[in-house]
Amino acid sequence: MLKINNLSAKIDNKSILQDFKLEINPGEVHAIMGPNGSGKSTLSNILSGKKGYDVTGEVLFENNDLFSLETEERAHKGIFLAFQYPLEIPGVNTNVFLKTSLNAIKKARGEKELDAIQFLKLVKEKAKELKFDEEKLGRQLNVGFSGGEKKKNEILQMSILNPKLSILDETDSGLDIDALKTVADGVNALRKKNNSFLIITHYQRLLEYIKPDFVHVLMNGKIIKSGGPELALELEKKGYENIN
Amino acid sequence: MEEQLKIDFEKKLKDFSYSEQEKKFKQTNFKEFLKQGFPNRKLENWKFSDLNQIIKSNIGELTFYNDYKKENQIDKIELINDLEHNKLIIIDGKIEKIDFKFEEKDKIEVLVEQGEETIKENINSLINLNNAFSNKFCKVIIKKNYSLIKPLVIYHSTNKNTQSKNTNLRIDFKLEENACLRLIDIFKDNSEKNFLNIYYNFELDKSSILKNYKIDKSMNNNVKYSYNNVKQQANSISETFILSSGSKFLKNEINCDLQGQHSSAFVNGIFDLDEENHHEIKSNINHLVENTKSYQLVKSVLEKKSKAVYQGKIFVSSEAQKTDGYQLSNAILLSENSEFNAKPELEIYADDVKCSHGSSSGSLDENSIFYLMSRGLNYKEAKKLLINGFLLDVIEKITDEEIKNLIKNLLGIKE
Repeated sequence: MLKINNLSAKIDNKSILQDFKLEINPGEVHAIMGPNGSGKSTLSNILSGKKGYDVTGEVLFENNDLFSLETEERAHKGIFLAFQYPLEIPGVNTNVFLKTSLNAIKKARGEKELDAIQFLKLVKEKAKELKFDEEKLGRQLNVGFSGGEKKKNEILQMSILNPKLSILDETDSGLDIDALKTVADGVNALRKKNNSFLIITHYQRLLEYIKPDFVHVLMNGKIIKSGGPELALELEKKGYENIN
Repeated sequence: MEEQLKIDFEKKLKDFSYSEQEKKFKQTNFKEFLKQGFPNRKLENWKFSDLNQIIKSNIGELTFYNDYKKENQIDKIELINDLEHNKLIIIDGKIEKIDFKFEEKDKIEVLVEQGEETIKENINSLINLNNAFSNKFCKVIIKKNYSLIKPLVIYHSTNKNTQSKNTNLRIDFKLEENACLRLIDIFKDNSEKNFLNIYYNFELDKSSILKNYKIDKSMNNNVKYSYNNVKQQANSISETFILSSGSKFLKNEINCDLQGQHSSAFVNGIFDLDEENHHEIKSNINHLVENTKSYQLVKSVLEKKSKAVYQGKIFVSSEAQKTDGYQLSNAILLSENSEFNAKPELEIYADDVKCSHGSSSGSLDENSIFYLMSRGLNYKEAKKLLINGFLLDVIEKITDEEIKNLIKNLLGIKE
């Protein structure tokens, strides 16, 4: 599904990722763990198309050259980024935004767009699953939401858009234990044969609830070690400094 | 210009048999305008918008005479069709149609060609120009306790062949006690390069409510000035909303005298400017007695080489204790060449008041754009959504639901 070959990225001539390699197959859950400044967020930004990076190397998503696609085209093809810091968008109603987003993707795929009634039914169902306060859907996007609500809103968007590859950028940070469980349930509900996940995190806490197939350790822009879920536990014990 | 003015004024005086008093009124105003000419940047009020220069570079030489005996065609004017309304159709400064078909006949009085122009305040040279050249006296009176069932829409239009001409319009309104008027001004520009000068006087008696929505949406090459002079008695409310967009130049000046306790004035506006359009809102809110309130919110979205100016003044006299005055302006500059000028002014002589002001300007937030694009919206859609969101809280200030929807539709805001 996703193949990253020798990806290097610089910002203002400062090297952030170096010869980064990763392959994710359909249905797999990969976790990338790393200390602050190891390049985790850069990776998610680059995959979803944020501007401002000088990149070399190759990223293929279902055999499409990702760098030839605009941010919104990547979303149309099924890439979703759950933001580490979801933005507040004043004046934009959450429901209106969700519907605009879903229909933009459906339209690009040549699928039938949802009308207001179909959409509301879908969004209500998903909000209930995620224990997301329905009243918030009528409010301005993320404005006045708590940190946990913002993160839940990301997962709600993810479950409505039903992407093929979801990138979760430190979705667990700032969540209390209940919210963490709800978020994990949301992710697990989406785990299917064809849906893949790339989970970026500091701690192995989230991985107790979302069992990854692979864990990679990112240090100084490179994957220094890969393994199964047990690697996360090892990291938790030893710390990043003593892994190798 | 002076020669042309004199010729046109003589011609105008010959057209009608004015009473001596009327003649004197017009002559005094004419002389005053001759002396002062069009306002220029030497005047503090006009330092961001030098009208003299703007007329020179966009129109050139103006003529001032309009033949008010001529009948104009009104069937060419495209009317608002998704809102039932009363209408007043104005072509080249002449009222061609007055239609209050939705209202009780004896509740509205329209005085035309009788009465006298009484207001003699020296406001600025454009009001002098207006008084000298505008057509006959017109006053609309809304009777005590009457609320108009439907809004009144004033269509401002010109003949196709009207060019390089100054047209003037003055209408006086009186809202008697507890009366209510919703007034929409809309521009239907049929010709280019004219200077339109509008002057409204509003007398708001006790507990009356005026809502004035000024809509300048379609692109045109005209230069416009509009002055609202609002005098408010106790418990009266004035709400002014300005959508400033289509004209080459437009300056809206709003003067509110809060003369009665518990009266309040709201002035909200949107500058949605493109190309080289240059627009201004100048407000003077005068808190003259105790317990009055004013609120102003102006938001701007500025493309290309456009320029917006907001000069908001709150004046609080020494008697006006317990005044509550607020003003805020925010601008989004979408191009390096666009410009926003804000000059907030607070002049306060009372000591127990609550007054504040604020202003900000910046560009569209690229991170927000990225967020929306990562959800499948293209750049244009993301930008539009953000801009509409930015403007929404001004639109939400419109207290009339029907008109709010009309304006949302005009701006392409969907829900």
